[in-house]
This record gives sequence, C-alpha cells and structure tokens, in this order.
Amino acid sequence: MAEIIATVESMEQAEMVMKAGADWIYAGEDEFGLRLPHSFDRDELTDLIQAVHAQGKKIVVAVNAIFHNDRIVKVADYLQFLTDLQVDMVSIGDPGAIHLLQQNHFPLPYLYDGADLVTSARQINFWANHGAVAAQVAAEVPYGELKSLQQHVQVPISYLVYGASAIHQSGRPLLDNYFSFVQKHQERTDRQRGLFISAPHKPDTHYSIYEDRNGTHVFATNDVNLMPELTKVHELGIQYWKMDGLFVHGQQFAQIVAAFAHARDALAKGTWTAELAADGQRIVTDNTPVNRETDTGFFDIDPESVK
Amino acid sequence: MKRPEVLAPAGTLEKLKVAIDYGADAVYIGGDAYGLRTRAGNFSFDQMKTGVEYAHARHAKVYVAANIVAHEQDLPGAEDFFRNVQAQGVDAVIVSDPALIETCILSAPGLPVHLSTQASSCNWETLNFWQDEGLERVVLAREVGIEEIREMRKHTDIQIEAFIHGAMCIGYSGRCVLSNHMGLRDANRGGCAQNCRWKYDLFDLPQLGDKQSLLGTDDNGKPEAFSMSAVDMAMIEHIPDLIDAGVDSLKIEGRMKTVHYVSTVANVYSAAVDAYMRDPEHYQTDPAWVDELWKVAQRGMSTGFYYDTPDEQDELLGEQRKRPSYAFIGEVEHYDAATQTVTVQQRNNFGVGDHIEFYGPGFTHYAMTVEDLHDEDGEAIDRAPHAMQIVTFHCPHRVAPGDFLRGLKVRRHTRTHVQA
Repeated sequence: MAEIIATVESMEQAEMVMKAGADWIYAGEDEFGLRLPHSFDRDELTDLIQAVHAQGKKIVVAVNAIFHNDRIVKVADYLQFLTDLQVDMVSIGDPGAIHLLQQNHFPLPYLYDGADLVTSARQINFWANHGAVAAQVAAEVPYGELKSLQQHVQVPISYLVYGASAIHQSGRPLLDNYFSFVQKHQERTDRQRGLFISAPHKPDTHYSIYEDRNGTHVFATNDVNLMPELTKVHELGIQYWKMDGLFVHGQQFAQIVAAFAHARDALAKGTWTAELAADGQRIVTDNTPVNRETDTGFFDIDPESVK
Repeated sequence: MKRPEVLAPAGTLEKLKVAIDYGADAVYIGGDAYGLRTRAGNFSFDQMKTGVEYAHARHAKVYVAANIVAHEQDLPGAEDFFRNVQAQGVDAVIVSDPALIETCILSAPGLPVHLSTQASSCNWETLNFWQDEGLERVVLAREVGIEEIREMRKHTDIQIEAFIHGAMCIGYSGRCVLSNHMGLRDANRGGCAQNCRWKYDLFDLPQLGDKQSLLGTDDNGKPEAFSMSAVDMAMIEHIPDLIDAGVDSLKIEGRMKTVHYVSTVANVYSAAVDAYMRDPEHYQTDPAWVDELWKVAQRGMSTGFYYDTPDEQDELLGEQRKRPSYAFIGEVEHYDAATQTVTVQQRNNFGVGDHIEFYGPGFTHYAMTVEDLHDEDGEAIDRAPHAMQIVTFHCPHRVAPGDFLRGLKVRRHTRTHVQA
C-alpha cells in the first residue's frame, strides 16, 4: 500500500498528521533542507524524531539543499547527528552530500530529490546504483510519462499528490533587490509575509514568492491536488505520496492529509468511489487557504504538448 | 602557472571558425539533439566533423553540449548520438543529466564528459563525486564566488570551468521551470522562453481576487514592474583572479549570439589571457578591452556572484539609458596593398561618410571614414544596401582577409558596474 509522506511545521502538527494517517513525517533544518514549513533546530528535531518513532511512524529529514563550500563542510556532522537519532531516511539533491554519505559509510537510507531535475527512470536508476533507496520525481513529469517511468525504475518513487510546487530557485535576494531599487523597504520578504507575483497579461495568476537563506523561491500559481486523479496514482503503484503543507497550516493541512489517507485506504481495499472522491475534494477545498487554489498541475498534461 | 583555455560559443560552423580564428582555444557547439539551444543553428554530424577538423588543425578543441534533462521519451537514441559524436572526433561532451552521463560513458567509452552548469555544482565534494564517476571537468554554477573556487582547488583535481562573460540565468541553472509552467516550454529541454525577463506584478493577496500591489517607481517616478532579469556577466577586469584561483577553462556564454559578438568577445579574452600569461607581474586590464566588449553588449554588465551576492544594480531594473553601440557591417575578402583597396562582403547597410572600424584576430584595430565606394562592376555607389554585396573602397591601412568591419550606431543599454 502507498505510504503518505507529509511535511510538518511543528510538533503539534506532526501529532495531527500522524493521527490523520501519514506514514512518514518530513522535516528538517533550513541550513540543510529546502522550502520547509519550519526550520527545526537540533533540539526540536530530536524531540520530533522521538515522537514520530514513539508512534511507530517514520521520518525523512531534508538534506536536499544546493550546498556551497561553507555548508558542505557541516553536512557530515549533520548526517552523523541524524544517524545517531536513527532517522529512517534523508532526502538529498546535491551529489556532494551523497559523496559524504558514502565516504563516511553513514547507514542512512537516502531518497534522491533533485527537485525538477528528476525526470526519467534511467536517471533514478543511476542514483539507485549509487545507493538511493527511493527518488522524488519532478512534478513536471506527467501521467503519460510516469507510466513508462514506473515500469523501469529499480527503486520506489515519491510523487507530489498535494501541495505547493517549486518552479524556481535563485541564489539572489530578488525581492529585497526589487524593494531596494524602488526604495520601498519591507520588514520581511519571507514565507510568512505571503507575497505573490502574476505574469503579464494573466492578472489572475498568483505565484507565491519568498526569500530565505537558500535564496528566492517561486511556486506554481496553483498548488497540486491529485485527489481527482487518485485512481490513476494508485494504479501507477507510486509507493510514496508526498504531501507538502508549506502554505497550509495546522489542522487544515492535517484534514487534507486525512482525506488522502482515507482515499489511499479505500483504493487499497477497492472501495474507492466517485462519491468518496467528491467528498475528498470537498475536504481539500474547505481547507485550502482563502488566497490559494489547486489543480492537477502537470499530471494531466499531454507530454507531447510540452515543447 | 597553467594557461586556461578560452572557451567560446559556436552556434554555427561559421561561428566556430570565427571563434577559433579570433583566439578561442576551444568552442562548444550543439548537435541536432539533446542540446539546450534548440533555436541555435545546431550541427549535423557532418558539420561537426568539418568543425572538428578545422579546430584540430589549429590546435583548438570542440565540445558538444548535450545538456538537456531527459524525460522518458527523449532517451531512445542517446547511445547512437554519443557514439556518433565520438566518431566525429569531438573532444568532450557537456552533459548535466546523470541518465545521459551514464549512457555516454557506456556507449562511447573514452569520450570525455564535462558536467554542465545546469547541474548547479557549488562545492568540492560535488566535484569529487563527479571525478570519481570518471568525469574530466565540471562547469561550475554561476553562483560560485572566486574565493569558493580557490577553496575548491585545494580539495579537488578535476578540471574547473567557469563562466566569465555573457547572459546569465537569474536562478540556479536547471532549478527553474518557469517556462514549463507559464508556457508549456521545457526550460531544461531547450524550450526556455526566458520568462524571468518578463515584467510581473508583485502583491499581497489576503484572499483570491483581492490583489494589493506593492509595485514601486524608479528614480524618475515611473512605475517599475517586478522582474527577475540579470544584467550580463563580464569578468574582463578580473582575469588574474580567475587564473590564480585555478580555473582551467574560461567560458563565454552565447551559442545564439552573432558572429560580431563571438569574434569580439573571443578576441578580447584571448588577448587578456595572453597578456597575463606573458607577464603576470606587470599585467593591467587594458581599457580598450572593456571598450571593445561594450561594442557588442546587449545589457549592462556585472561580475555576478564572483565577489558578492548580486544586488539591485546587477538586475535589469529601471529605465535603460542610451549608449553608443556598433553594427556589424562586413568582412574583408581581399586587400590590394598596391592600390590600397579593400574588398568587403557586406553584412549590414553602410556607405560613404560612415565612420567604420576594422578589427581582426590578435586584437588589431583600424578606424576610418569611408570616402568612396564601388560595386563589383567598379561603379561608384553611395551605399551598400544588399546583404552579402561585394564592394570595394580605399583603405590606407593594410587589413587582412577575415578581418571584420563594424560601424557606430546608437542603441539602448542599461546601467552597469563595469566601466564603459
């Protein structure tokens, strides 16, 4: 049966999403991981890991940043820390971190997560041959390609079934630079500030944008919600359903996780119906923040229509 | 001290020859598949072979960019592609996708592989990972600073290639799919629509339909849209830093750029590298090199991430200001020293009274005003309006076949960090 991986913003939310049916908790510290709902320091992460394991659940810790020299030197120590805490899996996107993992023989299973770069079975198998136990497939890989990809991968894949989809990462502070230029200082340009951009001639679009220590991040105008397509997701046999609560907080995200967990269970039992799908969709809609929308992203895009 | 290669872009066979004639030690080109510049004039295998023969005869190298991030349907045929590239005598391929790296290594053993900047390599552990995989070189991310390169060099032996000139992605290359989401054009498969350079609204959105714009104005009070557009890179004033830091290959961006750009930029950087290698102790940046780069500049120029995180001055914000610029107007076909007559193949309209400049390999220059002009039949004419038209005129200075001509024009440019 598919397993749900859900991000968390706090210990409290972790308890909620585990109760909601998440099998894995996804968390980390922003010095090592990208686009996290909360940056858990080592004390917080220690408590979280213990709480997750106490529930019989598992944890993925994000080590998927693009590392420069100043941070790669800290990665081995961090991986040792995670090893000591018996973390169940780490996500990694920088081959430098994989190099350290292997050189130091850390017994940490890793999920390869190169963000939008993970697009083929052959690439995933390359990482599998370098120790990856799973891979996060790019949200830009549509259903039509996932069918072929799934037939050829050597390790289970994870795929975003709900949440914000990152579409750009810059090393520059693009918001601060802009506000400096127009001399319109803002107290904050971080995720909590909640800024958006819209494309020319498409005033209804609303791409989330924020800055943090890893640069500037831009997200797709609508969050991914594959509730209407879960039959296909189930039939593909995708092992890990990734749920990202970056912009959906507290109990609202837990409700959405619960809806997907119920769907997952029903699909496994063969009791999934159009009515249940409609119920699930209603829960997603009811818990989506008032300034966000969802759609199925690239899932339904015809691969041939992408130039 | 090891001389780094000057690596120039070559979108066509003509540009390949020009780049090498104008001092490039190596060029990078695209094949008819797997490259990120689908709109560049990519090379057939026959053209590739011709280009390689031309380059090798002049002790230059040719690299083929195969740097897309492949999806399932792109991979069939990759083995044959790499085998064919190798068969043409190409010196290396530039790849970013591990699926293609592995395919290349297995199907064309012995063909050196360079990791593309699309892979965003920013630390020495990453470089060592790829060296262990058998790669010959890593093209660094444009986000890497000069001190970081120095530090990398202490921890790795792999060849390091770094961008020194040209347009820049505003984001980590490869970690941008704006184009995919805004126009169904895959940025990592040659479809990038440069959405980063668009003009955006920037706003708070308490709830859907309630946009509260935060856009401001420029110094003149004109509305300023939010943009994610970088000025171009120019490291001409910092060549010693790059060489001393241990960079093996100095890369010029621009497979889509013109012959004028390729010849000018290759000429400048090869002159600078030659000058530094000749006498590092007394080396100084020649202001003429900087002036020369401005003649083909499309945007303002900065040093990117080499010395600090770029600020607002490194982005295309604000009103563009007018700068003098130059048009490419022709190529010297022949020079008759006895009559001091030059024969030129026209590339852009020019005529009597125009101030023109000849430039050639080895950073040679000669400026003059056209005082007479004749067509192929020897008839006097005022202008040469036809593309590829052959004309002659009096030129008191000895110029050589292969030298190019440019003329002054006015074009709009933006602010800059590099002195004009």
